This record gives sequence, C-alpha cells and structure tokens, in this order.
Amino acid sequence: MIVSFLGKIGQIFLNGVHSALVVCVLIMDTLNWLFLQPLLGRGLRWRSAIEHFVEYGFRSIPIVGLISLLVGIIMGMQSAYTLQQWGATIFMANLVGISALRELAPLMSAILITGRSGSAITAEIGTMKVSEEVDALMVMGLNPVKFLVVPKFIGMVIAVPCVTVLSMAIMIAGGFIVAVGILGIDFWAYFDQTANALVSKDLFSGIVKSIFFGLTICWVGIYRGFQVEGSAESVGKMTTSSVVTSIFTIIVVDLIWTALFYFTE
Amino acid sequence: MMNNNNSEYVIEVENLIVQYGTRRVLDNISFKVKKGEIFVILGGSGCGKSTLLRTLVGLIRPHSGKILMFGKDVTTIRVQEQIKLLKRIGMCFQNSALFNSMTVGENVALPLKEHTHLADSTIDIMTQIKLDLVGLGGCSNLYPSQLSGGMKKRAGIARAMALDPEIIFYDEPSSGLDPIVAAGLDHLIRKMQNTFNLTSVVVTHDLESVQIIADRVCLLHAGKIVAIGDLKEMELNSNSYLRQFFTRTPNPEENQSTSAILDSLEDM
Repeated sequence: MIVSFLGKIGQIFLNGVHSALVVCVLIMDTLNWLFLQPLLGRGLRWRSAIEHFVEYGFRSIPIVGLISLLVGIIMGMQSAYTLQQWGATIFMANLVGISALRELAPLMSAILITGRSGSAITAEIGTMKVSEEVDALMVMGLNPVKFLVVPKFIGMVIAVPCVTVLSMAIMIAGGFIVAVGILGIDFWAYFDQTANALVSKDLFSGIVKSIFFGLTICWVGIYRGFQVEGSAESVGKMTTSSVVTSIFTIIVVDLIWTALFYFTE
Repeated sequence: MMNNNNSEYVIEVENLIVQYGTRRVLDNISFKVKKGEIFVILGGSGCGKSTLLRTLVGLIRPHSGKILMFGKDVTTIRVQEQIKLLKRIGMCFQNSALFNSMTVGENVALPLKEHTHLADSTIDIMTQIKLDLVGLGGCSNLYPSQLSGGMKKRAGIARAMALDPEIIFYDEPSSGLDPIVAAGLDHLIRKMQNTFNLTSVVVTHDLESVQIIADRVCLLHAGKIVAIGDLKEMELNSNSYLRQFFTRTPNPEENQSTSAILDSLEDM
C-alpha cells in the first residue's frame, strides 16, 4: 500500500516533469518561429495574426466591457459601504481606481478571455488533430507551430493588454456612476481624487500582469489542444481542462507579480 | 540518380520496427517499391498498415530500421532535407484532412503558396487545373463541409497533387464510400499513375479495389508481412491467412461462439 502510494506520487511527479518539458519545447518553438525564422526569411503569417487579434480582442469588448462596468459599480458600492462609517466616501475613488488598475481589470479580462478564446484555441487545435489536419500540415512540410501557434500567440499577447486597459477605464467609470449618481459626490471632486490617487506604476503593473496572462492563456490553450488524442470526447475533456488549468495558472502568475510589485515598492 | 539499381526503387524499407511503448506494432518489415508502380499495402483492421504509412511519410519515428526514399534515409534525415523530400511526395488521408477553415481552392493552393514563389494568378490557374484533374472543377469556392465524402477524397487528392509529387500515398481511399464512388476513385488513382508515371502506395482492406489498382501487393498481419508479390503470385500463395483474407472467411472460433448463441435463440 505504501509502495503503491509512493509510486503514485512518483508517477505524478514524472508526469509533471514531462508536461513541463513539453511546455518548454513549445515555448522555445514559438519563440523560434516568432523571432528567429522570420529573420531567416521564412515569413510570418501577419494576416492570420491580425484576424486572431480581432477575434480575441475586438470581439471580446462587449462582454468584457459590460462585466467591467458591473464590477466597477459593485466595487463602488462595497467601498462606499465601508467608508461611509468614517464619512470618507470620497476615498472610494482611491479604492476603485487602484484595485481596478492593479488587480481587477487584468484578472477579469484574463478570465473572460480564457473562457471565450482559451477554450476556442484548445478546441480548434484539438479538432484539427483529431481530423488529421495537423498531420496533413506536417506531411506538406509546413510547420504547425508557424501555422497554428504563432498567429494565435501574437493575437493573444496584443489583445489581452488592450482589452485590459479598456476594462480599467470602464471599471473606474462604474465607480463614477456610484459616486456621482447615487452618493451625490461632485463630478470634478471625484475626478481629481481619482487622478491624484493613481500613479503610473499602478497602470504599469496592471499591463505587465495582463501581458503575462495573455502568454498563459495562449500557451495553456495550445498545449492542451495538442494533447488531444483520438476522439471528439478528448476534445471536450481537454477544452474543459484548458480553462481550469489556465485560470489556475493565471491566479498563480497574478500572485507572483503582485508579490514582486509589493516587495519592490 | 546514383546508379541504375537504386533508381529503379524509390522506396526501400529495411527491417523496420515500430513500437508504441513496449507494444510492437510493426515487426521487422522489409519491402521495396518500384518507380511508377501502384503498391498496395493490404491487411485487416489493426494490423498496423496505417502505422506503416504514417511511418513512411515521417509522422511516426520508428524504433529501428531504415526507410530509404529516393535513396535518402527518412529516419535520420535533417529538417531542411526532410522538407525538400516532403515536397516530392503527396499524401491523401483517410478522412481527407482538408482544412475546414479554408475553401477547397485555398486548400489546394496552400502548398503552392507556401513552397513556391509563383504569382497569385499562376497559383489560381494551377489550382484550377488540379481540381479539373480530379473532376471538381466547379467546387473551388465551396468549403469542405459542403462536399460529399467522395468529393472530399478527390479534393484531398488534388491537394496532394498540388506540387506535382513523384510519390503519392493513399490511406484507405475507398473506405466509407459507396461502390460506385469507390470504383470512380480507383479509376482516378489508376489514371493518375498512367498519366504522370506516379509511384503510388495505397493502404486498403478493400479487395475489389485491389483487383483494379494493384501492380504489387503486400499483405500485413499482426505487424508482419505475410506475403508480397503481384496478384498472380497472391493467387498461387497457399498461406492460410492469405487464403482466408482473399476468400473473406471469418475466424472459426469467433464464428463458433456467436453461432452457438444464435442456434440457441433459433431453438426457442
């Protein structure tokens, strides 16, 4: 029993090492086809990259925008509830602004884009694998990383920060609605308070996070997509797993960057 | 062309072994394919024939053995060399493996766009020629999902032919098709070989299409070659598995257990 238990732990560890290696190879391959090969004259599929950017970024604006507005309003009301006790409701500008820039906007955008596009990446690559389309590419002498991975990668890494910046603005606007519309704070007073509360480092840390969230969504989605074996059932399983892994990894990455920014204040 | 002996054979497989983990799928396979012939790899379900085809085109790395294609060893080849080699071969997949996000025309044009520096107008013309060749002249702007099974396979052949390859591989060309469409495809494969002196390697379990297309046949069973030769030699061969395969006789033990159940049902 102990032996089988230890064996199980060893197996999990080996599987972990194996998938880490596979992800490393995938990352190296992506970077190779993103930077090195285009310099050697093997080209980049720009048009496909732009299409993916529009799909991941532009098309996700309605849902991300709506949710950001709602989260902004919720944040406004929750902070007003606490700050009212000291008659300091004006400070909700600081609370909403800082939490939106440093934390909520990057995180909400990343999680929404994971659900919307991370799953789609896995499902697309998985289906292509099941229907032998990936094999067909390889037999034609065309590299799947160049064709399938790099355009998605470029699209995602640009789209997530763009959507995040928009989400930041909309969340702060949500705070404005609560402050000006419900609590009757003067518009310009709230505006000045927000402007004074925020420093460029807040914006910077949010954008840095969002870039790494983009990398995470993309690589997890692609990795899970290539893990699909055999059947349509496997596509479904890997798509679910892609979303779960991606959200988990995003939170871990978030923690690491938050800690880094906290200790280098 | 190194010398006459070598140029007669375009594919030479020597002592090929393929394993999934510890399970041996192909065991010590050796055969040669002559230039310009249709070589059929025949075998039952799960005998490793698709694996063999995928190993030949480099999708599966063998455990040991040699695969010489145009005199170059596919198993140890470098990436740049491999891409050059892949341009000289074409492959038609079992489910045609057309890219679903592209039209039929774009599918056929893709290898041309990526591997040649031809102008777009030239590529359009070449794509149209390839589609006319397989009888899909009017389908250039349709998506693969709008095609029937037989048309998809034809489109797959057109795509495999895009770069005018010297060898073409077919994975189960007639599977899942009705007899008329399947026969049409057999004739297409024959016509391609006659017109372009194309070497073809066909994996199938369809005995009727073997009769039409095969110049030489190799029968696989449980990862091993049972027999190899032309159709006449196959007729004369007395190997029991080969006779069973060619006469479509079921396995006796499977038959006994099911017929026992059926008999008891009949008695009731």
